[in-house]
Parts: sequence; structure tokens; C-alpha cells
Amino acid sequence: MTSLEIQAPEAGVPARWKIPPQLLLIGPGIIFIIVTLLLPLLAVVVFSFWKTESYELFMDWNLENYWVLFREPAYRVFLVRSALGALATSFICLVYAWPVAYFIARHGGRYRLLLVLLLAAPFFTGVILRIAALQGILGPGGLINMALGMVGLQPIEALMYTPVAATLGHVYLFMPFMVTAIYLSLVNFDFALLETAKINGAGPLRAFVEVTWPLNWIGTAIGLILVFIPCLASAVTPRFLGGPKSTSFGMSLSQQFGETGTWALGSAMSVVLFVVSCAIVLLMGFTINPRRSGFTGGRR
Amino acid sequence: MSKALKGNAKSLSRRQLLKSGTAVAAGALVFGRPGPFISNSEAATPTLRLLMWQPYSIKEIVSEFESTTGAKFAPTFFDGNSEAFNKLKVGGTKDFDMVMADGFWPRLYFRQGLTKAVDYSKIPNMSGVFPDFLPQSFKLLADEEGKNNVAAPNCWGGYGITVNTTNVAKEDIGSIELLLNSKYAGHLATNSRFEENIALMGILAATRLGTKDGPRPDGKPFNPYQLTDAELEETKRLLIEQKKLLLTRYQDYDALDRLMRANSVWAAPEFAETYRHLTVLKKDGKLNFDVEHVLKPKEGGLGWVDTWMISSEADSERTELAHKWIDLFLQKDNYAKVVRSTGYGGVVDVRSILTADESELYFQNRSAEASQLHMFDQPSSPEKWERIWSDVEAS
Repeated sequence: MTSLEIQAPEAGVPARWKIPPQLLLIGPGIIFIIVTLLLPLLAVVVFSFWKTESYELFMDWNLENYWVLFREPAYRVFLVRSALGALATSFICLVYAWPVAYFIARHGGRYRLLLVLLLAAPFFTGVILRIAALQGILGPGGLINMALGMVGLQPIEALMYTPVAATLGHVYLFMPFMVTAIYLSLVNFDFALLETAKINGAGPLRAFVEVTWPLNWIGTAIGLILVFIPCLASAVTPRFLGGPKSTSFGMSLSQQFGETGTWALGSAMSVVLFVVSCAIVLLMGFTINPRRSGFTGGRR
Repeated sequence: MSKALKGNAKSLSRRQLLKSGTAVAAGALVFGRPGPFISNSEAATPTLRLLMWQPYSIKEIVSEFESTTGAKFAPTFFDGNSEAFNKLKVGGTKDFDMVMADGFWPRLYFRQGLTKAVDYSKIPNMSGVFPDFLPQSFKLLADEEGKNNVAAPNCWGGYGITVNTTNVAKEDIGSIELLLNSKYAGHLATNSRFEENIALMGILAATRLGTKDGPRPDGKPFNPYQLTDAELEETKRLLIEQKKLLLTRYQDYDALDRLMRANSVWAAPEFAETYRHLTVLKKDGKLNFDVEHVLKPKEGGLGWVDTWMISSEADSERTELAHKWIDLFLQKDNYAKVVRSTGYGGVVDVRSILTADESELYFQNRSAEASQLHMFDQPSSPEKWERIWSDVEAS
């Protein structure tokens, strides 16, 4: 059956009842988003205006949970702590990922796909396993400190259950996202433009700053978002690597739905986290100039 | 059967076959029963669905249960009491036939109608349980009126302090104060559960304030889960003071075990799992330091008796299975496997099966001490305790 046959009105069926084929194509996607994203989100928004008392959720509409988040400094500390950690992680990933992605895109040749796939190798295992492996490297009895001990040096305390260790964990977990995003931008970048810049007298640094970087900003921005947002909500990494001074917003949030059973407050925290994440995505969106970003809108 | 079908298919048109197939499928959907040649596994194999602590899912006992009853054992694991309680509160009574809890929690479950009475007459192996863990002595196994047995005992233990006695001075051992001793900064650890952290430090706070042994606002004896506002404030202050001295808040027994063996942590409150493992290593000559476990610090200690409960919505068949599971679990040969596997204190007298060392290790001669510990309980106000914990974690 062709699309024309679908659109053709049948006898006795009013034309306005006909489902356009485009809708049939995007329908499953829309249903998926409604069921798995919008409905749970709506439930969380509703719960955030209710209250919990001794592990019970009561439909008692109020703003108390938001007032608690605003009034109590602890939750602000968690949010700022998470934001700083996410910022540090994003910056480290950015600095590290650019040369790697550039090398693969420019000099990877026929091994480019293989090299990019290698970056995905850590995803062949679960996140807990990867963090456990990191504990085996960074922890007090881990490889690094054991090696230092063997040569008579003191262990590096910053690697053991500190915010530094949590940041290193985040960098390890999210680096592939950043490299992939930048790489995908660079493979569509016309490197001949650099030759033109060179002919016109630009040095390598100026060519990078004025040509390569702005024309690949959209990929970089996507990479930054892909790293920053999950870091901001991260609970597992700081819990296992961060130590007592690294409690993050995500850790506190997950505790509300687990141990403490304060679901309403947890829901309000989720809403705040969602709003902050959306604001960051919008902010990044404003920095993108389609004319200077290499984004062609599908036309070249 | 296949031959007959093949023969029939020859005499049917493709359209007829499709029509009959569709009719059978529709019938199965409408009446909830598949065709005669498809077995309904749910109906054929009864399933016992348990919300439980992972260490009690012991392979040999589960296999024996499945082979003797023909039922399927389907466990779901949880960590803390409040987590399991929340699961049952939000409709989990339909999803689980059994649930585990300790301390005061079984009474709370029963009071809220989440569980039903356990019939001890259907558990002949209750006869092997130490009298200290029968409802006559251990009141928390029955409801407040003492009319219904709300749970069956399983294992017991404390939340004592395991100490590396080679590195910690003898005079510093025996008190909760050890966990605030700056001499051991960077070598202390606690677990990450907020309830036990607050309750244990609450005992010290009440001791320091002199309110522990005085009259309480509720007229009942001191309970570290029912702290006054002043005691909670002092607890918060102590926990913030302690935080600076901690290397980490360990997530599980394996993590603490690694940290203590690496000599990184010298003292930590725990459920005695690490202590037992280190003791075995020491006896095998694989540990270069001595270890001790303070079950009840001088200010008081926390304790627990893990129990089995039966969900209020378990049907008669599953209720029967639940009783059979408890009975099989408490059977002496099996129970020896339980204590050896979990490393917890035993509520069943299996001294005739265990070695003298094992009996010592699994608290077989110390069952009377359970009543001297403050049993795990629900915090007086989870909301208030959450704020205290958030303040500590943010400090």
C-alpha cells in the first residue's frame, strides 16, 4: 500500500478522520515521549506540591517543598557543589577531547571508525563496574597509591574519597560523549578552509580560533551539554568515589526517594534540577550562531 | 500431535487456518487462558515473591525449597528498612508475598495492615530458636497487645564498632567517643545510611547531655530513634565534627573490608561482617593486625533482629509457601549454612553443628545480649532526620 492509497478517502469515511501518513510515522515517537517522559515528569511536578509525612504521601497542595529548598542552605550547597563539579568535568573533557577528536578526524584515515568505536569500549560494561574499577586505581589500596608506596612515597590523599576523585570519575565516564560530539562535527568540517586561512596569512593558532573553533562550535556545545547535564544530576560517582565531602544534589535527591522516603521534597528537587538543566541548554542554544557554526540546516 | 495438525492443515485453506488461529488467540486473550497446547507457567508453577536482604538468598536452601515445594523462589533485594516499607506502602503488598525487616519495623508493618500474622504452629523448626528470640522474651515479634505474632526471627546482630587494635590504643576502645577521636583522623569510616549514623551518634549526644537515663517526653525508656530536638541538635553537631575525621562513608561490606585490610580504616561501626571476615583471616595468618568488635559501647549500642513477615495480600497458597520457607530456613542443618554464609549472629541454636570458634564468631553464646541493645526503629520524624542529615552532608 502506498502513501497515496492511505490518503485516498474511502467511501463513507469522512476525509477529516483520515490520519496523515506523516503522523503515523512520528506517532510512536510522540507516544513514547508522552509515556516515558511527559507523564512521569507531570507526576513529579504534581508530587512536588504535595507533602510527605512518615513515609506517606498526602495530597495536600502547598509550596512548602520549594520553600524548604529555598530556605535551607544545605540544598543550595548540594546544587552549587554539583554545578562546580559538572563545570570542572566539562572543562577537562573539553580540553582533552578536542585534540583527540581532531587527531581522529584529520589523521585517522581508514581507522577513524575503529578509533571512535574504541572510545565506546568502556560502555561494554556497566557504570557500577567501571566505578569499581576506578576505586581499584584511585583508592587507598589502589594501583596508584600502592605503586607510590612501593617506591617509598606517600600516597596521594587527593585521590582517595575526595571531590577530585569524583571529578576524575566523571571525566572518565563522560569523556567519550565529548569526543564523539566533537569528532562528528569535525568529520563534516572542510579542512581545506584551513589552507585558505594559511594562504591568507593566518598562523595555526589564529586559524583554529577564527575558523576551526567557531565552525565546530555546535558539536562542541552539544558535547558540553552531554557532559554537563548528567554530571549535574550524578549520584553514583560521587557516592562511590567522592567521600563524605562530595554529597551532590543527585545523591541527596535519590536519598529522598529511597532511605528518607521524603518523596514530595525529592520531587521538588527533581523539578528544580530539570529547570536548571533546561536553562543551561537554552543558554548554550543562545551561543550558537547558525551562520558561523557550520550548521547548514541540511543544505550545503 | 504435530502429525495430526499437519494432516488437518492439508484439508484447510490458508484463510481458514488464519481465521481459526486468530479465533484461538482472541479466545486466549479474552478468557485469559491460552490454547490447550500452551501451558500457563504462572498457573503451573506457584511463585513465592520475596522482598528481602540479599545475603539470605542462599543457593542451597533456595534449591531445596524449590525442589521440595515445586514452587519458584523469586526474590527482590533491598537495602534499608524504609526502602522496603516504602515499596509495600505504594502497592507492594500485591507484588510481594514476604518481606523482611528488623527492630520495631515488623510492628509498624502489621499496624499499617501491610503484613498479616505469622502462624508459628506451621513452623515446627521454631523449636530450635533460642528462647531470647521468641515473642515471650523478644516482644517486638508480636503486636503491641501480644495477640498476634507479626514476624518470625531470622538472624541477629549489632551495629557495633570494629577496631584495628594494633593501631588504636586500648584505652580508646569501648566507647562511641572513638568515632570522634581526632588521633585517628583519616582512619575512621561510617556507613552511608542516615538512620544508623544519627541513631548511634544520638546515643552519645543524649549521654553527653545527661538526658539518656532521665525521664523522657514520651514516658518510655530512651530510644535513639525518638530523640528530642535538643538531642538532635547535639547529634548534628557531633556528626559534623565527626565528618572531618572520616576517610569515607562506605557503601557496602566489601568496601569496608578492603579499607580495613589495606590498613586505611582503623575503626568503623558495622554489622560485624567485616569483623568476622578479618577474624577468619587473622586465624589463617593472612592479616598483620589484631581486630576486635565492640558489640555494645559503654554508652549503649544499636541492635537488630532480622525477621520474616508475610504480606497482607498473599493468598492462601502463597501464605502456605511462606511458612514452609521460614520453616526450611530455620531447620538446623540449613541454619548452620545461613550463619556460615551471612556471618550474622544466629537465632537458632546450632552449637552442635558449629565448631567452638564458629559458635563464638556467630554469637551463639551471646543471645541474651540482644535485649540490651537499642533495636532498629523508624525515626520519630523522617522529615526532621532528613534535614539533620542534609545539614551534615552539606557542611
